[in-house]
Amino acid sequence: MSLREGSLDPQADSSVSFLPHLEAKIRQTHSLARLLTKYAEQLLQEYVQHQGAPFGSPGFSPPRLPVAGLSAPAPGHAGLPLAERLRLDAEALAELPPLLDAVRHRQAELSPRALRLLRRLEDATRQTRALGAALEAVLAALGAAAPGPRREPPAAPGPAGVFPAKLLGLRVCGLYREWTRRTEGDLGQLLPGGPA
Amino acid sequence: MLAGRPRPSAQSARRTPPLPLLLLCVLGAPRAESGAHTAVISPQDPTLLIGSSLQATCSVHGDPPGATAEGLYWTLNGRRLPSEHSRMLNASTLALVLANLNGSRQQSGDNLVCHARDGSILAGSCLYVGLPPEKPFNISCWSKNMKDLTCRWTPGAHGETFLHTNYSLKYKLRWYGQDNTCEEYHTVGPHSCHIPKDLALFTPYEIWVEATNRLGSARSDVLTLDILDVVTTDPPPDVHVSRVGGLEDQLSVRWVSPPALKDFLFQAKYQIRYRVEDSVDWKVVDDVSNQTSCRLAGLKPGTVYFVQVRCNPFGIYGSKKAGIWSEWSHPTAASTPRSERPGPGGGACEPRGGEPSSGPVRRELKQFLGWLKKHAYCSNLSFRLYDQWRAWMQKSHKTRNQHRTRGSCPRADGVRREVLPDKL
Repeated sequence: MSLREGSLDPQADSSVSFLPHLEAKIRQTHSLARLLTKYAEQLLQEYVQHQGAPFGSPGFSPPRLPVAGLSAPAPGHAGLPLAERLRLDAEALAELPPLLDAVRHRQAELSPRALRLLRRLEDATRQTRALGAALEAVLAALGAAAPGPRREPPAAPGPAGVFPAKLLGLRVCGLYREWTRRTEGDLGQLLPGGPA
Repeated sequence: MLAGRPRPSAQSARRTPPLPLLLLCVLGAPRAESGAHTAVISPQDPTLLIGSSLQATCSVHGDPPGATAEGLYWTLNGRRLPSEHSRMLNASTLALVLANLNGSRQQSGDNLVCHARDGSILAGSCLYVGLPPEKPFNISCWSKNMKDLTCRWTPGAHGETFLHTNYSLKYKLRWYGQDNTCEEYHTVGPHSCHIPKDLALFTPYEIWVEATNRLGSARSDVLTLDILDVVTTDPPPDVHVSRVGGLEDQLSVRWVSPPALKDFLFQAKYQIRYRVEDSVDWKVVDDVSNQTSCRLAGLKPGTVYFVQVRCNPFGIYGSKKAGIWSEWSHPTAASTPRSERPGPGGGACEPRGGEPSSGPVRRELKQFLGWLKKHAYCSNLSFRLYDQWRAWMQKSHKTRNQHRTRGSCPRADGVRREVLPDKL
């Protein structure tokens, strides 16, 4: 499959090896994904600290209820073609920023003195947008169909109950970690030397 | 090209619904297994006084109908509550009574959770247990170069209400104008606020602090001040410390008056402090008045000293108030020349310009004048004696020997006086 047809196998198509800029872009995006995976882990730890026990306790098993608009990577995600996985990654990264922003707003009410947590949530919102845009650029350069235009979500009031809001924030931070980790893994397969 | 790709969500993929809908997904969505139950805790997110009691219920419902509260239990902040605090109100409702509540452990509220028999979470509610705020007090304010106003205060009850307490600094012109609210908080500590502009001079302000939390509010006493009475300025710039020729016990300090206030009429006061390099004890020279230079005397020879200067712009525009000291300037270091002879300890700011200054001589003079003031009944005597003493001082650098004789000024019996050398 050639680049024009949307090939994602740089080893199979020798034309990719003559595209150093694209390779550089892929490396850069992969590095960003790796960095955000680390930040997402830190964000999750910071988040649970401020919610109080049992959040963060070893045996804590909150209900893994779906967040409308975004779910965790499906169990069969790893078995999908690389192009499809990357498209799903891009779609998830596009859904995450408003969710992270909503969590930040709620946490600003619940824990206004948790400045580091609030800053991490703000950074995550911005950085996820950047990673999503970079991934979309890579997909476009590879000829893979990029996600369509997004509609901005309407401004929303906070959830009614505090405990459900804490659970929701935990779920969003968990999904953020899962999707950045998945994006890092999927992009890694685009790097030269990655699996065909 | 791939077609029919799976979407990240089973529901609408492109739009994030409002948060209440997201919340409904969290609260009400069934688990993957059939026959899942959910519950509702009442009250939701109550606010309570420390020491009060809580009565709560966990009402379970789900599919199939007729879900039972059998086996349910409570945890608070992750710790299982003893069963004696719970009882079944009816088949589907478990009640809880907690007495003598402690203050909340975290700002986001204590997590009260209702669990199913298998430990899974059915519902949660956050408790806010604390105290209403007490009156903030001890408001102090200062203005940097008359351009702004920074205030700091102490929260009542040392700030520990166990609840998030919001502090709002308010201010208004005393005789007219509306209430204004300060917006830049935590500028010089957790309980401070900075008003950066639009402040009037020559007219008093009223300033107060309002504290509010879930349990109530409190207001401080009103502080009334004129900006001109609380002016501070920058530390004096360009502080230079240098040796005084070969004098091993002296250093000369020079500085420049703070430029921000140079156009205003005020009598600056300065203070100098200095310390030996490896000491933490500062010595302060207080009586520098309006000079921009000073000579430190009585220092140890061959010793490195750190010196700082600060300024008090008192009397600005005729203000009668004391003014507020600036921060200390950055430390400036210099060393006294080495000497074989042991130097005297301690010192004070000496007048410049040729007058011999010696620590022990100055001490003796002060002691002598102090004794005279206490014992002399001839009010003019001390001045004459001082004039002659000063003349004597100018003729010699050091005084080693003094002769003590009884004086001729009538005074009380039995009082021993020390007088000047024979020359007088």
